[in-house]
Amino acid sequence: MTGEFIAFMVLALVAIMGGVLLLNFKNIIHSVVALVFTFLSLAGIYVLLSAEFVAVVQVLVYAGSITIILLFGIMMTKHKATHTEPKSTWKKILALLGVLGFAAAFYLGIYNLDFGAEQVPLHANNTEQIGIALYSKYIIPFELTSVVLLVALIGAIVLARKDDNKEADDK
Amino acid sequence: METAWIIPLFPLASFVLLLVFGKKLKESSAYVGIAMTLLSFVFAVVALVDRLQSPTYKAEAVWLTIGDVQLTAGFEINPLNALMLVVVSLVSFLVHTYSKGYMHGDDRFHIFYAYLGLFTFAMLGLVMSPNLLQTYIFWELVGLGSFLLIGFWFYKEEAKAAAKKAFIMTRIGDVGLLIGMILLFWQVGSLEYDEIFRAVEEGTLSSGMITLTALLIFIGAVGKSGQFPLHSWLPDAMEGPTPVSALIHAATMVAAGVYLVAALFPLFTASETALLTVAVIGAFTAIFAASIGLVQKDIKRVLAYSTVSQLGYMMLALGSAGYVAGVFHLTTHAFFKALLFLAAGSVIHAVATQNIEKMGGLWKKLPLTGPLFLIGTMAISGVPLLSGFFSKDEILLATWASGHTVLFWLAVIAAFFTAFYMFRLFFMVFAGESRSEVKEVKESPAVMTVPMVILGLLAIFAGYMNTPWFGTFLGDWLVEGNAALGPAHVEGPAWIMYVVTAISLAGILLAWLIYGKRSISRDWLTAKVPALYNILYNKYYVDEFYQYTVVKATFFVSRVVRFVEVYIVGGAVFLISGIVKVFSTLGSWMQNGQTQMYGAVAAVGLALLVVIYALTGGYIQW
Amino acid sequence: MTISGYLTLALILFAIGLYGALTKRNIIVVLISIELMLNAVNVNLVAFSKYGIMPSITGQVFAIFGMAIAAAEVAIGIAILIALYRNRATVNIDRINSIKDEF
Repeated sequence: MTGEFIAFMVLALVAIMGGVLLLNFKNIIHSVVALVFTFLSLAGIYVLLSAEFVAVVQVLVYAGSITIILLFGIMMTKHKATHTEPKSTWKKILALLGVLGFAAAFYLGIYNLDFGAEQVPLHANNTEQIGIALYSKYIIPFELTSVVLLVALIGAIVLARKDDNKEADDK
Repeated sequence: METAWIIPLFPLASFVLLLVFGKKLKESSAYVGIAMTLLSFVFAVVALVDRLQSPTYKAEAVWLTIGDVQLTAGFEINPLNALMLVVVSLVSFLVHTYSKGYMHGDDRFHIFYAYLGLFTFAMLGLVMSPNLLQTYIFWELVGLGSFLLIGFWFYKEEAKAAAKKAFIMTRIGDVGLLIGMILLFWQVGSLEYDEIFRAVEEGTLSSGMITLTALLIFIGAVGKSGQFPLHSWLPDAMEGPTPVSALIHAATMVAAGVYLVAALFPLFTASETALLTVAVIGAFTAIFAASIGLVQKDIKRVLAYSTVSQLGYMMLALGSAGYVAGVFHLTTHAFFKALLFLAAGSVIHAVATQNIEKMGGLWKKLPLTGPLFLIGTMAISGVPLLSGFFSKDEILLATWASGHTVLFWLAVIAAFFTAFYMFRLFFMVFAGESRSEVKEVKESPAVMTVPMVILGLLAIFAGYMNTPWFGTFLGDWLVEGNAALGPAHVEGPAWIMYVVTAISLAGILLAWLIYGKRSISRDWLTAKVPALYNILYNKYYVDEFYQYTVVKATFFVSRVVRFVEVYIVGGAVFLISGIVKVFSTLGSWMQNGQTQMYGAVAAVGLALLVVIYALTGGYIQW
Repeated sequence: MTISGYLTLALILFAIGLYGALTKRNIIVVLISIELMLNAVNVNLVAFSKYGIMPSITGQVFAIFGMAIAAAEVAIGIAILIALYRNRATVNIDRINSIKDEF
């Protein structure tokens, strides 16, 4: 019962609770808050996995920007607070069966998995290691990612823009 | 004789031509039919004359080869076939001519002639067949022709029912014939008459098998020739036009059964049991039908029962090994029965009813029909010197010679009945005062009377081709060179002829006393035993018996089968279609246009694959 | 502490995300569920980078790439959502079924 294990258990529980809650909250804003909890606890998991830089990025990108974008999306659309239509129970059962079968099959594969930990000093100068890898070995994907982000930026603007000239004038 | 194959083709041509052009020809269709049957008759006479001088001619070609078995088709002109060809084509020709007057004004005149052509073609083909298979094909065609003609006035419910009854009841017999044929083919390996007779002679066939096949084939003949217990369709078939009755009764349909037994005679003679069965059924039918004929009131029904009775005589003759007697009676009967029917048709034509209670006193009003009807009546009653006398005498001699005393006396009593009811019919129709509702009774036109005159002459003189006094020409010729057919003439005690004559004359006398002179009251016996009268008048309740046994049983079986059909077979079909429906409903429910659904299905599919992978380790082992 | 604990955590999160993506009607919840699934993948990558057969920094680099793509995906997703909302005035995924041919 090491400290690492306790930390892992706590963080994992929070993450899973967040996941479960975000599906069960009726109010969509509450769901997003639950999601933030999951994201933050996953950042903690990253720290446990000697990935400080990734953890920081997780907090910045997920818990920060993505959450904000989602909130924007929620605010720009109308949501009924109540879920009135409980009709397609069959679909739910079908999906549940599929997901459970999938999870069970994979759990069989992983519950006893152990490759034998070969210690690599990932935690030492973690950011430097990532920086070196990104700017040497993965320079081309890295640059392409910037292109992808640019395209996403422009694409998002084009999609969300109002087509109408009149409305464009209003803007 | 080489050209004999063309004989049946003339009526066939008439059938085809009238089907195609009948609508335009209208009543002149009659000329096509008459001309074609006349040609048939001419060629048949040529073939007969040829056959008188030269031996049997047989032509065959291979039709089908199945393994080692060869099925052939062809024709054979032996004495029996040649005789039948002439009789059939002659009667058919006369009926064609007569119909021109009788059917005048009918809407479907040309169709009638087309059917007559088909019927004649079938019968002519039947009597020329050299093998059982061909016989069977034409046999069924004859059945079809009779069905079409009996039901010709299909708008009459009775005619429709009678046509169906004729078809179904003869069908019962046909099944027997078919099974017999198949057994013979299985045993002999051929359907050729010659092969079958050779097998019988050489003992290839076991005696049990001979009896079995002969009896099965006889069942076919029973159905076709209206023998008990399959006789009841024949009187009902009177619903057809009268010329059709003449044709069916004299030349085509019912003669087919007798012909079949005659053609397969060597097979029957090889089995005592089969012969005895034929004789017993024949004798029983003869007296059974004659007794019904005593009380019937419909002119055509009386004649129908007389036909059944006379056919019984022929079967009795054949069953008593009297081949010549049977065939001889078939020939003479064809003439006088055709005459009787045509004359009856003439009477019906004149007074527009078939009920003999509403006739009477027609002797003077129908100066030609009356005497001709009298000739037919005398011939069938066995009055000396007419054709029926000789043939009936021949039959009784053969029966006596075969030793079946009981059957002999049954036949004698039947002869008495025959004489009585035929003259009862004659006196009711022609003697006394008129009870008709039709005031002006006119004699039929010449186109109807001329065929009757020809048949009248034949009814008188046809008997002289085979008499014990002037020579048995027909008998000698029929059995010449074929020992299996028995003797040409059976010698018997002379008293038989006197007894039969006396019996017939007694019947006539009794009929005259009751219906002619009326010195004996008509309901003398009826009043004393009304039950007997009712039984006879209702034809021994045979139809009712069939109704309550066979028909009801069939309905019951049908209901059971229908239950199986609807609930078991149908249930299985419903189940299968239901399963398919469930799957298709599922499919269309999934195709609801929502990406989530498609995603869910894909995910479940993936999950299934993963689960299978996890459980089997990558490949499926059974 | 072995790898299986992390992998199980990722599996549970992934399963929750998958279930949400397949059953929730609100498009925003569906998007959130997809984010959850992406996160589960990232957890796997980072876990393998430490406890895998060949531990190295590469897993973490991949996780960072994944996050960048996820961010782009969310941005595009929200843009599509807004465009759709403008045309249909709904965020209910059941109503968005024009993929099916109307007959």
